[in-house]
Amino acid sequence: MTTYASRREFLKGLGLSTASLPFVLNLPSFAYAGEAPARRQRLIVMFSPNGVIPKNFWPDVVGNEFVLKESLKPLEPLQKQTLILRGLSDKIRGDGDNHMRGIGCLLTGIELFPGNIQGGSDTPAGWSKGISIDQEIKNYLQASATTRTRFGSLEFGVMVPERADTWTRLSYAGPNKPLAPIDDPYQMFAKLYGRQKDQENLRSVLDALQEDFKKLESVVSAQDRQLLEEHTTFVRELEQELKASDARSADHAVPQLEPGIKETNDNMPRLSQLQIELLVSSFAADFARVATLQFTNSVSDARMRWIGVDDGHHHLSHEPDTNEAAQEQLTRINKWYCEQLAFLAKRLADTPEPGGQGSLLDHTLIVWTNELGKGNSHTLENIPFVLVGGGLNFRMGRSLDFKGVPHNRLLLALAHGFGHHLQKFGNPDYCGDGPLNDLT
Amino acid sequence: MLRPHHHRRFRIYRLAAGCAFFVVLSIPRISARGELTGEQVFRDQCARCHGNSGEGTKENYPDPLAGDKSVAQLTKYIHESMPDDADEKCSADDAAKVAPYIYDAFYSADARIRNKPARVELSRLTVRQHENAIADIIGSFRPAIEWGTERGLHAEYFNSREPRGDARKIERTDAEVRFDWGQSSPDPEKLDAQEFSVKWQGSVLAPDTGTYEFIVRTEHAVRLYVNNPDVPLIDAWVQSGSDTEQRGELRLLGGRPYALRLEFSRAKLGVKDKEKAKQKKAEFRPNAHTSVSLEWKRPNHTPEVITARFLSTNVAPPLFVLQTRFPPDDRSVGYERGTAISKAWDDATTEAAIETAGYVAEHLKELSGANPNKPADEPILRKFCTLFAEQAFRRPLSDDQVQFFVNHQFEAAPDFATAVKRVVLLVLKSPRFLYREIGGTPGDQFDSAARLSFGLWDSVPDRELMSVAQKGELATREQIVSQLQRMLPDLRTRSKLREFLLIWLKASQPKDLSKDPKVFPDFTADVASDLRTSLELSLDDVLDNPSADFRQLMLSDSFWLNGRLAHVYGAKLPADAPFQKVNFEPDQRAGVLSHPYLLASLAYNDTSSPIHRGVFLTRSVMGRVLRPPATAAAPTPAALNVSLNTRERVALQTQPEACQGCHAMINPLGFTMEHFDAIGRFRDVERNRPVDSTGSYLTQSGQVEKFNGLKDVAAFVAASDESQTAFVKQLFHHAIKQPIFAFGPNELRDLQQRFAKNDLNIHKLLIEIVADSARPADHRQ
Repeated sequence: MTTYASRREFLKGLGLSTASLPFVLNLPSFAYAGEAPARRQRLIVMFSPNGVIPKNFWPDVVGNEFVLKESLKPLEPLQKQTLILRGLSDKIRGDGDNHMRGIGCLLTGIELFPGNIQGGSDTPAGWSKGISIDQEIKNYLQASATTRTRFGSLEFGVMVPERADTWTRLSYAGPNKPLAPIDDPYQMFAKLYGRQKDQENLRSVLDALQEDFKKLESVVSAQDRQLLEEHTTFVRELEQELKASDARSADHAVPQLEPGIKETNDNMPRLSQLQIELLVSSFAADFARVATLQFTNSVSDARMRWIGVDDGHHHLSHEPDTNEAAQEQLTRINKWYCEQLAFLAKRLADTPEPGGQGSLLDHTLIVWTNELGKGNSHTLENIPFVLVGGGLNFRMGRSLDFKGVPHNRLLLALAHGFGHHLQKFGNPDYCGDGPLNDLT
Repeated sequence: MLRPHHHRRFRIYRLAAGCAFFVVLSIPRISARGELTGEQVFRDQCARCHGNSGEGTKENYPDPLAGDKSVAQLTKYIHESMPDDADEKCSADDAAKVAPYIYDAFYSADARIRNKPARVELSRLTVRQHENAIADIIGSFRPAIEWGTERGLHAEYFNSREPRGDARKIERTDAEVRFDWGQSSPDPEKLDAQEFSVKWQGSVLAPDTGTYEFIVRTEHAVRLYVNNPDVPLIDAWVQSGSDTEQRGELRLLGGRPYALRLEFSRAKLGVKDKEKAKQKKAEFRPNAHTSVSLEWKRPNHTPEVITARFLSTNVAPPLFVLQTRFPPDDRSVGYERGTAISKAWDDATTEAAIETAGYVAEHLKELSGANPNKPADEPILRKFCTLFAEQAFRRPLSDDQVQFFVNHQFEAAPDFATAVKRVVLLVLKSPRFLYREIGGTPGDQFDSAARLSFGLWDSVPDRELMSVAQKGELATREQIVSQLQRMLPDLRTRSKLREFLLIWLKASQPKDLSKDPKVFPDFTADVASDLRTSLELSLDDVLDNPSADFRQLMLSDSFWLNGRLAHVYGAKLPADAPFQKVNFEPDQRAGVLSHPYLLASLAYNDTSSPIHRGVFLTRSVMGRVLRPPATAAAPTPAALNVSLNTRERVALQTQPEACQGCHAMINPLGFTMEHFDAIGRFRDVERNRPVDSTGSYLTQSGQVEKFNGLKDVAAFVAASDESQTAFVKQLFHHAIKQPIFAFGPNELRDLQQRFAKNDLNIHKLLIEIVADSARPADHRQ
């Protein structure tokens, strides 16, 4: 039997357009009788900068009998849910240096516009010429009532600098439309739960407000009292509405956030943890099905003193391969990022899928990636792509090597995994042969 | 109401007829008709449609009989046109009896006041007041802004790729940002054509409330900050692709300046060239053009460069502008008022309270000076909340109230920031904030202070006003007037007066002025926008002048024109001339009534409309009451009567007696504007026939005024008690938002006399109005 990734695809298979959807859904004897509702699918793209140390990153063996190297050791408990893709290359050229194109073309698969931002080499550039794949998938999900969520997508950041330029932006809503990640957990909390907090506060003052109305009713004339009485009926209606809204959101508790964590370099581990917790709870509440989690920025010079690395990351990444100390520290840095990935995956695995089978991780795919293959050569070959989770029905527990395939084909595969059967994404020259094969 | 008249009727009847009481009731139509009273005629012939007390009947004529015709006019009108559903009209005798009766019983203004005395009604804040009040409550915790006298923006030019103090080469004031440096730099001696930057700083004044679109046009990098020094409205610092136009939208409150900063860089940004490369002068777009302009699209206007009159070199503090939208206020009585509430309005007040609480929490440190995470700062935060409530309630809080509104919240909330939010929610949802007339004890000076600030600013009192009230120095008329004089130059007063004049001229609502391009090919959207600017400049002229003379509005012979308008209206100015005062067609035009914006807005898209113009003169300018037409009629298209000009066509169409009741007054006024076509351009001939702009007006005292053209009308209006009274009444309602007769039956007459005595000074009139309104309210028990 053919399986359909979504209701839209199912309807397409029947030769029906989505325009006939409401009509179809009103016929219970047709179509869905006996079928489980389409499962929720989710995508998280996690970004960390400055390339990796290949010898400590890529497994030696292709297939399912691979051993995780030092940088990827934190994934050991999740090895069966992990898929490592070597040999994918960012082939996009044009304006901008490799760091800029590395982040700007990573999810868009298309060139940067010419612009006024000069990189360390090459010609100056501006923003990307196209939408990024996370936003493309978000738009696809938001277009259908069955997959639409409150936000569609959420852009999380951790210690992203306060400047908007090609090196700090990963997601694009369209050409020249970079999206700023929210790297302040309190700001993200307000975006996710501000409304619930507001209602809580409102509810807490309603008794006092009604008392105030009573006091005032006695000091105005009989003619004017009528207006105030009318007003109090609205206040009572507000109370009823708040009660009803409470009942609706009772199944999802607002997470508690440790207050007062400042955005400083040394707080990065705590900020990372807060953002991951918010990401997981926003998925559990089905606020969005797509997210990006951007650690710092392309060329970031974060100093990971908490793992004993005092030098800046970017500075270290330029050291030659012969500098063993630097190689070891860079491996440690990537291992720390991998720990964040493993923590995210574990938190998803610990959270049951609401109204479904298994855990959130079973219905989510995490893609961990980087703007460079290797820091000191600035290569865009062998861009790291480490996938965790069962969201897109990929066959996990494997290590693959594509030996130089354009990464656009992975972007296409992500869309196809959601049932969004794009023929091309980004620069069409790099989409030949369609989505990456051998994933499902 | 009915009873005394019944008694009087019976008494009169008995005296007159000497007959038995029963006969009267059973046989009203007794032998001698001449002995019937006016009331009997009314009952007999009129009440069927108009109701027993002229209140109207649902089936036939639902509106109450009320108006401003004199007894003589009424008599004539009744005799000629009543009843309107029968051919046989009321006899002259009956009309002569019934007219004085209805005039005294319910028709005239005096009768209406006597029958139903107006009162100051409990009213909520209008939308405008709500928005202003919240902006000013928060603004009271920030420094005040001086608009200053220097127009333009403070400009700094840097020989560096980003504005950097040590690289500043030029410092000056730029009247506006509109530069084209070609392939050069603003000063080739000081600034490298391929690498320089500029920073413009100051404030921009939003004349009206609404959504403003800011537009920066340039080939290079720009960042624009408006009303927020930290977050750019436009961020195009990364110049990407070939876009040369950047836009950002913002809702602003009228009559307030907003901090503005524009940063510009004509340079390569990002990683710096290595020193070696620098010596070689690594070129960056050596052939690129370099220009920059700062424009905006104001409500009711097309995009234009922001001119110096809207700019100040002083930097305003941020202003909190509510983004919550309210349902519009009831304007059915001719002015915005808050005597009705709705669920939608209540929901909006909740949204607004939540939005404000969020803003206060976000800016708590700056506004309160306290750290919400520091336990020791709790007293400062409580004090801040108390002050916030006092600003919002327009009076000091009693100890009990501090306990109720502030302390209880601090005791119950999990943290200080939440406590502050809850105080803000409770305060902004309280009737003490939401209703204007809920105050303290009668005669309370804080009530007076609030009346002054709402009257002049549509907002809460400032610190000075509160402190004067606190000291008890707002007791006498002199003290009140002296405060009003202090408050008069404030930009908010100016904004309120300006808005009033636009409402009075029926120009406040967005209007589509577009005309038939086949007839008026030159009349583009830009010309319409310029016309509005021209009108606004004329109004500003009057308000800027300390004499603020009503007659100047009516009689001024200069108009503001720019090159584009001059071309369309046939004045002599260079095509690119900026706005300037021009003595324009002084033999044909006088004052705002002859302003082309007004004439064009009171016209169809291809022809003039004497009816719209006449109705405007009758209602707005002369303050007369007109009922809606009994039967709706579409204007006869000009094409159907090719032999007639507009005046003849309108005269023909409104000939029937049913029309003449109103059109006898409307047409002769509207016809006086016939020398101006549908875009307000002067004409001598229409459809090959000379234009006739003679007309007349029958005053309320029964005098016939004759006019030959619009200039005669303007001269009459400038001197007429009637038009002054109409102006006074409308300004009163605009300022106070309560019926003027609630302040006494003689208030209107009295104010008009003071207006005349004060040389028709509009500023002084406003002060008199607001001072009068500051009397203790009469609605309290």
